[in-house]
Amino acid sequence: MTTVVLPEGAVESGEEAVNKKPRGGVGSTVLMTIAALVWISPLVLLVITAVRPLSDFVAQGPLSWPGTFTMQNFSDAWGIGNFATTYRNSTLLLILKVPLGVFVSAMLAYALAKLRIRFGAAIMYTVFLGLTIPIYITIVPVFVMARSAGLTDSLIGLIGPYLAFGIPFEVLVLQSFIRQIPDEIVEAARIDGAGAWRIFLTIVLPLSAPALVTVLILDAVATWNEFLFALILLNSDAHKTIPVGLLNFQGQFSNNSTGLAAGILIAVVPILVAYTFLQRWIVGGLTAGASKG
Amino acid sequence: MTRARTRHGGLVAWAFAAPALLVYFTFLVYPALSSLWFSFTDWDGLSPGYNVVGLQNYASMVDDPVVVRAALNNLIWAVVTVVVPVVLGLVLAVLLNGKVRGKPLLRLVFYTPAVLPLVSVASIWGWLYNPEYGAINAFLRSAGLDGLAQPWLGQDSTALGATMVAAIWLRVGFPMLLYLAALQGINPDLYEAATVDGAGRWQQFWHITMPGLRPAHYVVIALSVIDSFKVFDLIYAMTYGGPGTATQVMGTWMYFNVFQYNQAGYGTAIAVVITVVAIAVSIPYVRSQTREHAA
Repeated sequence: MTTVVLPEGAVESGEEAVNKKPRGGVGSTVLMTIAALVWISPLVLLVITAVRPLSDFVAQGPLSWPGTFTMQNFSDAWGIGNFATTYRNSTLLLILKVPLGVFVSAMLAYALAKLRIRFGAAIMYTVFLGLTIPIYITIVPVFVMARSAGLTDSLIGLIGPYLAFGIPFEVLVLQSFIRQIPDEIVEAARIDGAGAWRIFLTIVLPLSAPALVTVLILDAVATWNEFLFALILLNSDAHKTIPVGLLNFQGQFSNNSTGLAAGILIAVVPILVAYTFLQRWIVGGLTAGASKG
Repeated sequence: MTRARTRHGGLVAWAFAAPALLVYFTFLVYPALSSLWFSFTDWDGLSPGYNVVGLQNYASMVDDPVVVRAALNNLIWAVVTVVVPVVLGLVLAVLLNGKVRGKPLLRLVFYTPAVLPLVSVASIWGWLYNPEYGAINAFLRSAGLDGLAQPWLGQDSTALGATMVAAIWLRVGFPMLLYLAALQGINPDLYEAATVDGAGRWQQFWHITMPGLRPAHYVVIALSVIDSFKVFDLIYAMTYGGPGTATQVMGTWMYFNVFQYNQAGYGTAIAVVITVVAIAVSIPYVRSQTREHAA
């Protein structure tokens, strides 16, 4: 926690050390494999259930291998679950919110780490305290604010609260990363006549790329998954995001297990794919910032 | 950090800090303080006006059996969904740090549930727990344990436990990752020296691994506790606080009061209580973070 390393650094080097002895450890490998199978089994069952007809599921039970395979559940779930709309809304929110949030957080992080801002410690304390605040303490005033601004049932109304709740973690990770940029580099640019803004854009941001990517990914996951603000601020189907849409869908499909499984998969597949490909950054970022986005 | 202004500081620094701070104060600090104000009123959440009623909402909470139940559930939730994932995460990390094949894949598997939307986790487990079509009862029946098959989420005795199992499923990965990173920072020479001295694996765990993980313990436990107080999504989407009030926590009971029973003043008072507890518990952590980073 004291120092933040390049996200991939800590994890990868340790792996090499272990991989020096690829043989042996049969006992732990077997034990861990069994544990991993148990852990992943809900998702495996979900996939198996989603690709079989409901009649097959009912006749043979949830733990059997499908007698026939079908993709019909996915097209049914896609239509009834309104996923075309919720996907669009969630994606739009992601594009509007995540880069903006990371950018303003990086600016604050730069001010804290390199610009010797007055009351820096007090600002940091106040911002880090935000990590501990549950969302529900803010929902009544946020709802009132959105209503008086005419921004209920609008994705735009979500952006402010989403930004605010993302800032503490982003600032925590980014400022400790920016702090490690050698002062000499910043100083040299300043002597060459570069202003603070230019130093930020051409030196600090490029050098912070690993931390920025990590924070972008974690913030994207958090934004995609956010539920409570979306629940209270959005009412019409046309404006719902994936988590709220999935909740409605779950109610309608409570007796159609195969359709429900397909719908859940539709909602989580983008996150699972992104996680699988980007896990190095996610793992590094969590270890560096030691907080959950 | 509070050194006198240098040529770099001053207004320029504030200009960089301003956008994020503005958003943070407008949409987090101000609403949180505003809730504190509402908690002293009888506002219903709809009418234009309200009366200031002092501490009446707080006094009413003592007589509200659901608040008592919710507070107790929050406490149980905090203990169980912190202790179990932290211990399991530690065990997994120690095993993964040893001689195990397929380590990257294993690590991927255990952290996967943590990236899913909580609503989807609730859907998945709600489906697994389904009394008729759920995999859990099907498994028990196929194992000849028909007597154990039951409506897990539909009865008082098992509902809270069932939701906590889902929480444990998704929360094991986080401590595992942090412990894994911390374990890789422990000097391997220490283990070799201990082996030469004839120390067994168990002794090595208690005398080298555990002391080496002390900073990690602190961070893992602090963050898990902070996270546990935020519980809302999983309960709301899985049981809606039910059956009856069996799985109500302060977050959900606050929500129901505000948005179903039109008692915004009372609801915010509930939120204030749990938030104050959460902050009080987390202050040492926040202070240590600030000290480390501002140093």
